[in-house]
Amino acid sequence: MNIVACVKQVPDTEAQIRVKADGSGIEEGGIKWVMNPYDEYGVEEALRLKEKNGGEVTVISVGPARVMETIRTALAMGADKGIHVQDAAFDGADAYTTAAALAAALKDLNPDIIFCGQRAIDDDQGQVGAVLADLLDIPHVSLITKLEFADGAIKVIRPIEGAQLLIEAKLPCLVTAQKGLNEPRYASLPGIMKAKKKPVDVKDAAALGVTPAVNMKVVKFVPPPARAAGKIVCGDDPAAKAKELARLLREEAKVI
Amino acid sequence: MSNLLVNDRDQRFILFEQLGMEKLFTTETFNDFSKDDALMILSEAEKMALNVILPTFTDGDREGCTFKDGNVYVPKSYHEAYKKYIEGGWMIANESPEVGGQGIPLVLYEACMETMSAANVSFQMLPGLTHGAGKLIEEYGSEEQKKKYMEKMYDGTWGGTMCLTEPGAGSDVGALKATAKRLPDGTFSITGTKIFISFGDQDVTGNIIHPVLARIEGDPPGTGGISIFIVPKYKINDDGTLGELNDVHTGNIEHKMGIHGASTCTLNFGDDNKCIGELLGNERDGMKIMFLMMNEARLSVGLQGLSLSSTAFEHAVSYAKDRIQSALVWEKKGPDAKPVSIIQHPDVRRDLLWMKSHLEGIRAMNYFTAYAMDMAKANPGEREKWQGFVELLTPVCKAYSSDKGMDICSKAIDVYGGYGYCQEYPVEQYLRDCKIATVYEGTNGIQSLDLVGRKLAMNKGMNIMNMFGEIGATIARAKNIEELKIDAGRLEEAYNALVDLTMALAQFGKSSSFIIPILNASSYLDIFGDVLVGHFLLQAAVIASEKLKAIYQENGAEESKAKKRALVRSNEDVAFYSGKIASSRFFAVEVLCTVKPRCEAIKSEEMVAFEMADESFTC
Ligand SMILES: Cc1cc2nc3c(=O)[nH]c(=O)nc-3n(C[C@H](O)[C@H](O)[C@H](O)COP(=O)(O)OP(=O)(O)OC[C@H]3O[C@@H](n4cnc5c(N)ncnc54)[C@H](O)[C@@H]3O)c2cc1C
Repeated sequence: MNIVACVKQVPDTEAQIRVKADGSGIEEGGIKWVMNPYDEYGVEEALRLKEKNGGEVTVISVGPARVMETIRTALAMGADKGIHVQDAAFDGADAYTTAAALAAALKDLNPDIIFCGQRAIDDDQGQVGAVLADLLDIPHVSLITKLEFADGAIKVIRPIEGAQLLIEAKLPCLVTAQKGLNEPRYASLPGIMKAKKKPVDVKDAAALGVTPAVNMKVVKFVPPPARAAGKIVCGDDPAAKAKELARLLREEAKVI
Repeated sequence: MSNLLVNDRDQRFILFEQLGMEKLFTTETFNDFSKDDALMILSEAEKMALNVILPTFTDGDREGCTFKDGNVYVPKSYHEAYKKYIEGGWMIANESPEVGGQGIPLVLYEACMETMSAANVSFQMLPGLTHGAGKLIEEYGSEEQKKKYMEKMYDGTWGGTMCLTEPGAGSDVGALKATAKRLPDGTFSITGTKIFISFGDQDVTGNIIHPVLARIEGDPPGTGGISIFIVPKYKINDDGTLGELNDVHTGNIEHKMGIHGASTCTLNFGDDNKCIGELLGNERDGMKIMFLMMNEARLSVGLQGLSLSSTAFEHAVSYAKDRIQSALVWEKKGPDAKPVSIIQHPDVRRDLLWMKSHLEGIRAMNYFTAYAMDMAKANPGEREKWQGFVELLTPVCKAYSSDKGMDICSKAIDVYGGYGYCQEYPVEQYLRDCKIATVYEGTNGIQSLDLVGRKLAMNKGMNIMNMFGEIGATIARAKNIEELKIDAGRLEEAYNALVDLTMALAQFGKSSSFIIPILNASSYLDIFGDVLVGHFLLQAAVIASEKLKAIYQENGAEESKAKKRALVRSNEDVAFYSGKIASSRFFAVEVLCTVKPRCEAIKSEEMVAFEMADESFTC
C-alpha cells in the first residue's frame, strides 16, 4: 500500500510568539519548531496502517530548510522516505498554493491513502487537506477519530455534535486526522539513527512544474490586544458586593 | 524556558558553544553523528521526560513502594513509563551498536539524562542501575555470561542492581561478610545479607540480576580479598527461560525521606544455602570490577544533584515572576506603593542568581567530565590527559553537585515561602529526593578523602596540573576582555590560593601534620569545586562577551547603553549571554572572594575539631 502523510512544521504550542515590528510576520529567532500535532496523529495512523497491511509510508512537507527537521522526525518515527518541497516562492504560500505543490509532488506516487492533520495550529485554516483531495480528484473525509481498513476500502469515524458518523470510502482517498485518533509514538533513538539513511527528495517549484500563484496575501500580523487587568470587588458587606458584581457583569461586561 | 525541567538553551550553549562538542563528530568514533542529530536527540529526550517520566513524579512519591508477602511493588505508573523508555532506546543509548546501543557521545547522553532525571530521579534509577550492572558484564563477563545475562538486561527484559552495602560494611566495603563457597561445577554458593539495595526487588522486570560483592572462603580480609558474583533472582535454564527462585529473598524495604519511588531493599542471599552465583572476572578482582560501576554511578549521582538543582531553579524563577507580595522596600512609605512580583525584591534576586550561577557551573562541570570520557575514547593519543580529568573530577562532580544541589533545592523552597514547604508544589520533594545524593555511592565525606588522598597525587600529579592549566588559560583569555578583567582577577586570586593550598596539603601529607589534609578534605573539595565552577563560568562569560559584541555591532548598539538595554528585552540571545556574564560576575564576588581566606584558614593548621575530647561533645 502506498501511504502518504503530509506534515507541516509549526511553532511549538509553548512558544512565545512575537510579531515583527513592521507586522510582516513573526520573529522566528528563538522559536522552537515542532511537527503540527494533528499531523502527528496522521503519521502515527499511517505507520499503523503500514505495520498491519504492509506498504510504504512517504512523508511530505512544504517549507524552508528547517522543515527537514520535521521530515526527519517522521522518518525517525518509522516513515520510509521523505519529500521536501523547498522553494522560497512557497514561503508564506496560501492553502491553495501549498495544496497545489503537494499535489504536484504526489501525483506520480499514486498514493492509496493520504493523511493530513485536520488543521495546522499556526494559521488554523484547515483547508490544505480538502484542496489537495480535490486537486488529486480523490474523495476526502475530514476529522476522523478512528480508521479501519479492509478489502480496499476504509471505514472511519467522524464525530459530529452529539453523534458519530461511520463513513466508508474506497481507496484512493484522503483523510484528515483529529485528536483522539491515536497516541503518536515517540521517535526512538534507533529510529533517529536509521532515519539518517532514509532518502529525502528535495524539489523546487520548477521541478514540480508549479507556478506559485498569490490568491491570498496576509496584509499584516497584529498581536492580540493585551488582556485588561481584572477587577476585584471589595467591601465588607457580601450583599453589597454581590449587587456590585451583578451591576458590573450587566453594565460593563454586558454578559447578563 | 517553558518546560520547567531544564534550560535547554544553556544545555546547548555548553554542548556546542562552550565545549564545542562538534569536534567529536570529526573523530572516527563519533563520525556517524552531526549537530542536527544531537539536537534531534535532545528534543526527543525532552519529550520523553515531559510526557512519559514527569507524570510519574508526584504519584511515585505519594504512592511509593510497597512490600507484601516478600515481594516489592513499585509505583504503578512506573510500569508503562519504563516500557516506553526502553522502547525509545534510552537505557543504553551511549553503548556501542554491537550490544544494541546507538553509540551516542556520553556528553550528549549526559544532557539527555539531566532532563530525564529532572522529571523524576527515582524512576531514572531503575534503567540507570540496570545499565550499570549490564555494563559490568559487558566489560568483564565471558561470552557466555554476556549472552545469558547482559543481552536481556540491555534490552530491558531484566533489571540490575549493585550489591555492596552490608550492616557492618557501609563506607568500609572491605569489612563485608558475604561469603562465596566453591561448588564442584565451578559456580559458588552465596550467603550473606545486603542492605539498602536500590531496586533490589521490584515488579517491573521479570528477573533481576545482582552483581554481589562477597569473599570466597579462605580469601584474605579487606578489599583485596573481595570477588564479584552474578546472582540472578530467578535461576536461568539452559534454554534461557526462567527457573526457580535462586534463594534470594527480600527482608524488607526502608521507609525514607525521599526517592520513595525507588525501593531500598534488604536482600538475604542463601538463607537455605541454595543461592548460586557465577564469578564475574577474576577471583579477588571484585573491587576493581565494581569500581567501573561505582565510578559511573558516582557521576550519575552528581547528575542527580544537577538535575534536581535545574528543575528546582526553573520552578523558583517561574514562581518568583508570578507571586505578588510586598511593595519595594524603598517605596513602601509612599501612598501609591504597590505590591510587586517577588522577583523584584533584591533578596529574592540574589537567591535566584546564587542558584543560577551554581547550577550553570555544576552543569558545565558535569558535562565537561562526560565530554572528557568521550575525548579519551575518541583520541587515543590524548587519552591519558582526558582520562585524568575524569579520575580527578569524579569525586568533585559527585560531592559538589549534590551538596550544592541541596542548597539550591533549599533556596527554591525559600523563594516559594510557606508554599514551598507544602506538597501542593514540587519543590519540597526536590529537596527530599536530593538528600540521598550526598549519602549514597560513598558519602561526600568519603568522596573528599578520595580526592585528597588519591586523586590529587594520581598520575604523579599530572591530572591536577592539567586542570590547573585549563583554569590558567581561562584567566588569561578573560583578562584580555575589558569587561571581564575584574572577574578574571577574582578567579585568579582564588586559583592562586587553591594552588598554594594544594602544594601545602602535599607537604602536610608527608610531615607529622598528616592529619591536616584528612581533617580538611571536605573543605578542600568544596574550595576546589568553587574554583572549578568559577573557571567554567568565566570560560562561558568569555564566549558570551564575544557573542554579545557581535550582536551589538550588528545592531549598532556598541556605544549606546539604552540600545543595549532595549536589546536585552527584545533579543533572547542578548538576554541569555548577558545572563551568562552575570552568573560569572556574581559567583566571582559572592564565592570566589571567599576562597583565599578559607585556604589561609586551612593552612593555619588549626586542629581543634580533631583534638577536642569526645567528652566535650556530649557534656
Ligand atoms: C536510599 C539508599 C539507597 C542505597 N542504595 C544502595 C545500593 O543500591 N547498593 C549499595 O550497595 N548500597 C546502597 N546504599 C548504601 C549507601 O551507599 C551507604 O549508606 C553509604 O555508602 C554509607 O554507608 P553507611 O550507611 O554504612 O554509613 P557509615 O559508613 O556508617 O558512615 C556514617 C558516617 O561516617 C562517615 N565515615 C565513615 N567512614 C569514614 C572514614 N573512613 N572517614 C571519614 N568519614 C567516614 C561517613 O562519611 C558518614 O558521614 C543506599 C543507601 C540508601 C540510604
